[in-house]
Amino acid sequence: MTQRPWLDHYPAGIDPVLAETTLAHVPALVRRASAEYAKTLAFTQVMANGMNGSLKYRDVDAHSDSFAAYLREVVGLKQGDRVAVQMPNALAYPIVAFGVMKAGLVLVNTNPLYTPSEMIHQFKDSGAKALVVIDMFADRLPEVLRETDIGTVVTVRISEFFPPIVAGVIRLVQKWWSKTLPRITVEHTSFRSALSAGEKHRTVAQVDAYLDGVGPDSLAALQYTGGTTGVSKGAMLSHGNLVANTLQLLQMNGEYITPGKETALTALPLYHIFAFTVNLLGFYHVGARNILIPSPRPPSNLKRAFENYKITWTTGVNTLFNALLNERWFAESPPKHLKASAAGGMALHESVANKWREVTGTPIVEGYGLTESSPVLSFNPLGGMFKDGSIGIPVPSTEIACVDEKGKEVAVGEPGELIAKGPQIMQGYWQQPDETKNTVKDGWLYTGDIAQMDSDGYFTIVDRKKDMILVSGFNVYPNDVEEQIAAVPGVLEVGVIGIADEKSGEAVRAYVVASVPAPSAESITAHCRQYLSGYKVPQSIVFVDELPKSPIGKILRRELRDSAAASSSSTKGA
Amino acid sequence: MGESLIILAEGANQATVVNELEQTLLRVFILIIMFGLGAGLTPKDFSLAVRRPWGLIIGWVTQFGIMPFVAYILIVTVLFQFSPPQEVGLIALGALIMGSVPAGTTSNLFTYFSKGNLALSLTMTVNSTLWAFVMTPLVLFFYANLLDLGESVAIEFSELAIVILGLIVPVGLGMLVRRFSANAGAVLELVGGVFGVLFIPFLIAIWVPRNWQLLLSTEWPTYAVAIGLGLVGIFAAYGIARLIRLHPMNARTIALETGIQNGPLAIAVIVAVFIDNPRVDEILLIPALYSLFIVIISTLVTLWFRRANVAEEQKIPNLL
Repeated sequence: MTQRPWLDHYPAGIDPVLAETTLAHVPALVRRASAEYAKTLAFTQVMANGMNGSLKYRDVDAHSDSFAAYLREVVGLKQGDRVAVQMPNALAYPIVAFGVMKAGLVLVNTNPLYTPSEMIHQFKDSGAKALVVIDMFADRLPEVLRETDIGTVVTVRISEFFPPIVAGVIRLVQKWWSKTLPRITVEHTSFRSALSAGEKHRTVAQVDAYLDGVGPDSLAALQYTGGTTGVSKGAMLSHGNLVANTLQLLQMNGEYITPGKETALTALPLYHIFAFTVNLLGFYHVGARNILIPSPRPPSNLKRAFENYKITWTTGVNTLFNALLNERWFAESPPKHLKASAAGGMALHESVANKWREVTGTPIVEGYGLTESSPVLSFNPLGGMFKDGSIGIPVPSTEIACVDEKGKEVAVGEPGELIAKGPQIMQGYWQQPDETKNTVKDGWLYTGDIAQMDSDGYFTIVDRKKDMILVSGFNVYPNDVEEQIAAVPGVLEVGVIGIADEKSGEAVRAYVVASVPAPSAESITAHCRQYLSGYKVPQSIVFVDELPKSPIGKILRRELRDSAAASSSSTKGA
Repeated sequence: MGESLIILAEGANQATVVNELEQTLLRVFILIIMFGLGAGLTPKDFSLAVRRPWGLIIGWVTQFGIMPFVAYILIVTVLFQFSPPQEVGLIALGALIMGSVPAGTTSNLFTYFSKGNLALSLTMTVNSTLWAFVMTPLVLFFYANLLDLGESVAIEFSELAIVILGLIVPVGLGMLVRRFSANAGAVLELVGGVFGVLFIPFLIAIWVPRNWQLLLSTEWPTYAVAIGLGLVGIFAAYGIARLIRLHPMNARTIALETGIQNGPLAIAVIVAVFIDNPRVDEILLIPALYSLFIVIISTLVTLWFRRANVAEEQKIPNLL
């Protein structure tokens, strides 16, 4: 690749090449930070009512050693075995995730809201031998377990490591008020007893020995993805991938992070790759205190966290930032200690970014990545020039190019498929050689996203390849249309898709969640006419109560298309 | 807090309607409820409230304007129509006190169930509780004079103010606890809420059986005032809130907030100030009846409110 104009835009003092690291794997990163910040608070879990529990760095290290020892000595797992973990953000999560990796095992993050059939697919495909699951969702296990190889189930409470009285109150509320504790009918071990069993077997030297032979190229996690395209596949992320990506994104934003002094809000689920790498690994590495939010919906669940802690960093997705800005308590009394926010996971709307800066008085920058790239590929450099609507420049030691159908690089400003190369690119899809061949070619990851690069080397995502709408032969990118509609006063959320149309092949349809009084469909159309070419203006606008979303809040256009197709076929049938 | 306890404890031996054990329990209840209320607050809540004061102003007006006025109207049009004012003066006084005390924490619970604006409800409860120090004696003084109750019943209004102040102190202490331990604050808040709800069964279990005869001999106008106070209060506030075009969610909140008074506080105040009065049971009659019936009224109103099209309303930006 010849064009690398971004090299001129790294902020002063930031090396475009990733510094050499001695960290051979994730446990080494954990070990080092745990020693350096031993007495510092590492994690604080905050419930919606303000109840909380905390773990120090040294506690995280010791408990995860115990959990590693439990998995190897008591359960008898062997290096490379897969362990599925299914829980919301909670203090037990880092213990379990780090414990699995310290034991030389492979982490399989699983969405706690999965249906039994989704769970069966993921557990069977990964060949998981053990499952660590939040007790609130353990009632689905009988039908799931008999289809899988899972031989050990460890159940975790949401109140793990909370002060005893507080944990007791939470337990009482769960049992008698919210009724969220189903009876668990399968054989299981409680997290507490697993830890104490592990503790008996634990010595640091022995735990370190579990990693004999584990290096940067060893598999660390199977991160399932592609749920939005159909059958989900396990992206094979190595220890080297995760460590490199952690260091890449820290190197990019170095001057905005003071080691040992940051407090980061972790409202996105840690089982998702964005929060996993950025918050769990990234902020852990720099000695920050992670504020874990088990459930960020409704956004008022974050109120106590903002009130009680001096949050200096937030990570989130467009939906979360937008929701916070619509909360009165947040907008009128924004966090005083905030330094910066990082957005990813989905396009950050310019209107949201601007309002966020206006309300909080701090920068927000957008980055980009995929599960397949651990995930960060590019970011707007906080200390340098950042461009709204752009996903920024490649993180250190990463190359990005836009290519045409034949794999040839397109000219500056021309749209093409974004491909990327770097130390964070996955090893492939688990047991899917054909899918891997289609996605990773010569070390380049083909993302399926259409992007363009400007003359400064900043990239802008035009859209997902498969979300593109073809109106009478013209390409319409839903993002373009959504961005315009989102700017209409009274529009809270919008999702744009193409629906089959006899005349134009496909027609643009917008699904809008509006406030009351709602803007009229005519006023939205009029706004679009002003800013978009005629063929991009929605043919129909549908007002809905809510839009289908992924676990991190990404609007699922595929589901909108499915329901549009289903309703049009049912009308035809009627 | 210490001060109020001393005042509350004075002359307890003469009580017939509320015995010493009940008084102690009552005090503990109030303390916990008020503590819990404070534990849910930060100074930020106040600065926020001041910046967007409309909800509070409306709440203030309904709380100290409408409720005492409703009590007054009910006394004049119902109570005094069937008995000479001299005979039912003390019952009327009880009704006035019930109308003049601030909002109770139970309103927060019903607001939650009726899908109202919980944040607004909480701020309104706190706001009216703090204002009660000045407003309750003032309003009471005004209507007691209007009804000519002042001479038949000697009320030490300054004493009343001190009692209320003493009850507000736990709110501040709760805030302090919250400041130093979010966990202790959250637990206290939860416990306070539970006690606010438990007050009614407590009343039914302890007070009703022993005062059964009194309840039987009570004439219907008294019941009418006790029930009407909550009912009319809720609907008057709801009507006003809708009239000035508040978001239905906020209108529901203000309605419940206005109609649901702090029953335990009214009873505690009466016990503290009037315990030496041999006819204290008459003053307590309406607050006790009100506290019993308001649960039924609020439940019915909440069921009615819940039928509103909530999904559509959730998207209306919160103007208050």
